[in-house]
Amino acid sequence: MKKKINITGILLIAAFIVFLVLAGRGMEPRDLLITTLRGFSVGSVTFLVAAGFSLIFGLLDVLNLAQGTLYMIGAYIGWTVFVRPDTFIDITPLILFLMAGFALGFLWDYLADKITLDARKKKILGWVFVVLSVVLAVLILPRYPIAMWELDNYAQSPISFSYMADQGIRLPVSPAETKGIPAMVALYGSFLISAVLAFGLALIRYKENRQHSLHWKKWRVFGILIILGTLIMAFNTPLTEWLMNMNTNLLFVIAAIIAVLSGIGLGALMETTMIQPLYSRPVYQLMLTLGLGTIGMQLVKAIWGMPEFVIPKPEMFRGSGPGCPATTVKDVFTHHCSTIMILGGRVRVYDEIVLPIVGVIILVLVWLLLKKTRIGMIIRAGVQDSNMVEALGINVRRVFTLVFALGAGLAALGGVLSAPSYGLSVSMGEKFLLNALIALAIGGLTSYPGAALGSLMVGLIQQFMIKYGQIGIPIPFTDIIFKPTPAIIPASTMLLMVIVLLILPNGLLGRQD
Amino acid sequence: MKLTSHSEIILEVQGIQSYITHYHILENVTFDVPKGSIVALLGRNGAGKTTTLKSIMNLVDVREGQILFEGQQIQGLTPYEVAQRDIGYVPEHRAIFRDLSVLENLRIAERKKGDFDAKREMIFELFPDLKKFINLRGTELSGGQQQMLAIARALVPENRLLLIDEPSEGLAPVIIEQLIEVIAQLAKQSTVILVDQNFLVTSKLADYYVIIEEGKSVERGVMAELINDHAKIQRYLGVA
Amino acid sequence: MNKNKSFLSRNKGILIFLAVMLVLPFIIGLFEGSNPVAVWNNQGTFSKHLEGIGIEIFILAIFALSYDLLFGVTGMMSFGHTMFFAVAAYTTGIALKSFGLPLWQVLLIIVGTSIVQAFLFSIVLPRVKGVTFTMVTLGMASMFHIIVMSSDMIKWTGADVGLQGVPKPAFIDPTIERLRFYVVALLILVLVYIFYKRFIDSPTGRVCVSIRENESRAKMLGYNTTIFKVVVMLIASFTASIAGVLHTLYQPIVSPTIADLGYTVTGLLIVLIGGIATQSGAIVGAFVIKLLDLALRGIMKDSAPLVTGVVYVIFVLFVPYGIVGSLKLGGFKIKQGWQMLLERFGLKKAMPKEE
Repeated sequence: MKKKINITGILLIAAFIVFLVLAGRGMEPRDLLITTLRGFSVGSVTFLVAAGFSLIFGLLDVLNLAQGTLYMIGAYIGWTVFVRPDTFIDITPLILFLMAGFALGFLWDYLADKITLDARKKKILGWVFVVLSVVLAVLILPRYPIAMWELDNYAQSPISFSYMADQGIRLPVSPAETKGIPAMVALYGSFLISAVLAFGLALIRYKENRQHSLHWKKWRVFGILIILGTLIMAFNTPLTEWLMNMNTNLLFVIAAIIAVLSGIGLGALMETTMIQPLYSRPVYQLMLTLGLGTIGMQLVKAIWGMPEFVIPKPEMFRGSGPGCPATTVKDVFTHHCSTIMILGGRVRVYDEIVLPIVGVIILVLVWLLLKKTRIGMIIRAGVQDSNMVEALGINVRRVFTLVFALGAGLAALGGVLSAPSYGLSVSMGEKFLLNALIALAIGGLTSYPGAALGSLMVGLIQQFMIKYGQIGIPIPFTDIIFKPTPAIIPASTMLLMVIVLLILPNGLLGRQD
Repeated sequence: MKLTSHSEIILEVQGIQSYITHYHILENVTFDVPKGSIVALLGRNGAGKTTTLKSIMNLVDVREGQILFEGQQIQGLTPYEVAQRDIGYVPEHRAIFRDLSVLENLRIAERKKGDFDAKREMIFELFPDLKKFINLRGTELSGGQQQMLAIARALVPENRLLLIDEPSEGLAPVIIEQLIEVIAQLAKQSTVILVDQNFLVTSKLADYYVIIEEGKSVERGVMAELINDHAKIQRYLGVA
Repeated sequence: MNKNKSFLSRNKGILIFLAVMLVLPFIIGLFEGSNPVAVWNNQGTFSKHLEGIGIEIFILAIFALSYDLLFGVTGMMSFGHTMFFAVAAYTTGIALKSFGLPLWQVLLIIVGTSIVQAFLFSIVLPRVKGVTFTMVTLGMASMFHIIVMSSDMIKWTGADVGLQGVPKPAFIDPTIERLRFYVVALLILVLVYIFYKRFIDSPTGRVCVSIRENESRAKMLGYNTTIFKVVVMLIASFTASIAGVLHTLYQPIVSPTIADLGYTVTGLLIVLIGGIATQSGAIVGAFVIKLLDLALRGIMKDSAPLVTGVVYVIFVLFVPYGIVGSLKLGGFKIKQGWQMLLERFGLKKAMPKEE
């Protein structure tokens, strides 16, 4: 192997480990263990944000500064599914029906082809339809019934619902009231909105000489969306009750899946509508993602409010009765203990064991995707030269969209998984975006293993600094004990980043050219 | 103006004008390619030969003119759609994928599953080195092997037209000899458009030539005639 | 290239702006019924209020100008620009409040801090480029933000509440001598603007533009691009520091949000809306942002940032050259701008661009 070994990088990592060991001298083993596990935990969540970031930057050259917001949105959507399943059930058919109009894209293209008008008139007609859809949306959407929390009324606010759910109580919620028109009418009206909009856009984007077919297979997605939406709407109440009374472990899994799907959807939407037109102007892409991140944050603030709350932990990880804290792994499973005793210290099962494990699983899964699948091969090739990949006959734009969506989905997964331990707040996105940026800068921007290494280092440093804040660092060869205050902790990772970048501008594992 | 009257024309380039950002690179390039032949694009550095190939792939901004492949308009399609019409492109500087193994570099070119397995024998017969180094990464190959890999990659799908850009660039004379043989082999199965600075390569291989000067196609003809026309070679190519 | 023109004709626009802004408080005063003498003596309520808004706009414009020089003209995409502003603001506040230094000494200190910071940012310049530079600067600025916010510094900085009760020098106290403060801020803005125009037109400035366009080419032409970047960094740092000093002198509380990434983004937003690399764009943008912000806050209170965000995204997508930039493209080019817009909406086929 002619692979170059990056000596500077290894020295830096070695220095980092020596620093940790030296500083850990004064610590008891259990403190050392718990702090390390917490470091893994924060590192794992950071990694979920950073992994998507690094994939997107590597392939698309887009620094997706909205990644933090996607992380936050994942957490909030997960909270909604978990704590307010009724709201989730109310809103799902609406979203499915809004998608259904676009699922008929092939039909609109076909119709656009059949209409005998000259191209310019078609475009004008298209704009008429777009305006019409906006009018319809203004008329119909506010009349669609959704049962929701209220931000101004404390008893009905997200915090109350969170708190009660944590106590195992479901606050009574009144079912959504219909507002003027029957719910089904509002639902099919929303399909009309999307259909008119999609047809309008099809007219605007109409190109000649394309082949159109109405093969039955193309109707499948549309059919699934409509049937699913109608069924959910029709069985709204039993479905809500089913979710409300569901085992919280399963509910949490469902919440996580929905959050990831939303992240993927938002990512795909963002890439196709807004990032794509700007590929020739990278600085504007940077500014755009920054702006979208801000908008997303403001939206979250407007919908879920400023105060902080958490997703209650699922049953599996909240036991505290007899047999707890667990002393063996078996206890965790039989008593569902929230903590386990290791080396005489209490370790929280979900925060400090499950999260790191999930991080490792995702790390391996994405690595397998990159190394073992055709799509991974295309991504790795595209990182180097996406034009050449396209010249081989591969629709690389679609791969771009896919990677962007995947990255967004990973961030959303990080959000929903971290919500039970780190909570939900309006600033959570920013915090982990910064963490991820630092992790990537340390590890190397386009390097996937670098993202993992950097995240781990960021997590460890932060947690060790917090611990030192409590016990103080004995500075070697002196009697001075230095106690970093909580405020200095983020500064320590920033400092690490600046040092690493000064020595290795491309990070520890980045390509040094 | 047709190069030949008897054989079938596979590609027609008609008066294309291409831009790279706002630089007007091709001002008027017109030529056609008979099926089964090797056509060499000749001209000095910066004349627009590479841009012509890129225009066919639509990798640059073609604003005027038409490109017909087997009678169908391909100008305006995206590069991947062009490639899917069975046009293979071997770019200059051996643009193989550094981080992919030789095998992956070949597999990525598959247009449908099984393309590579079907051609496996043929490719390894042409390029025995690649078989030997099948698991090495792109960067670990020598320059000549990288060039062979780039060409082999274009052979994986059933391409009916190959665009090969500067294959002999930076290669040792011995390797160039091999390269000439390989390209001659290819031409038995597919039509080739060849760009090469090395007149030895093009003169040995090509059936026809097109001379491009300052973004315009100025001369076309049969290669065998050009070889003896020293004045013309001197004038357009600066070699004697 | 403007060597033959006189100072007056070269700076016609900004001088007209100066004159209008000088007269404006008095005219506003007339509308609310206070005569010019009353305005002169800072007695009009509404005119005083407007002067306050004016001062904030001027400070924003100075800040945005310096940011534009850095990323718009020279192409150094820093996400830590607000650090220059915030360090100056806090230093001024602490020096006045905790040490009771006279203003001229404070200003000397500010000159020092701005140079130190510029060099701090410049250490990384020869080594890092592009995105890495963005992140290093973001890291440095965030560190400062964290330090300002930390409870260890509460005695000096007031942590998350902000720095309060800074004694203002009497001759320029904004509550009493509002008009004087207004004029001073305005004059500083105009001077900075004229200097920037001059600088960007100078040979040095043109090298900076060429660094943005193609740094390796500028290097090949024999310029030591790092030195040029350091010079730009020094100028930008000093200008932003001046804005920071004015901010502390004017505001009753120096809030730590000015050290936040959000404040850098405000600068970015102003430059983008006004027009990147057009100096007048920074002034126009500052006006638009401040007035838009005021209006939106009046109409919809908390969701104002949401609308600002949407406006920002619309500008990024559809008006990338900003207001001034689009106007500067001038007459037929406006048509071209519309053409671009129409193309994006698919209303017209792409036309070959003119050479």
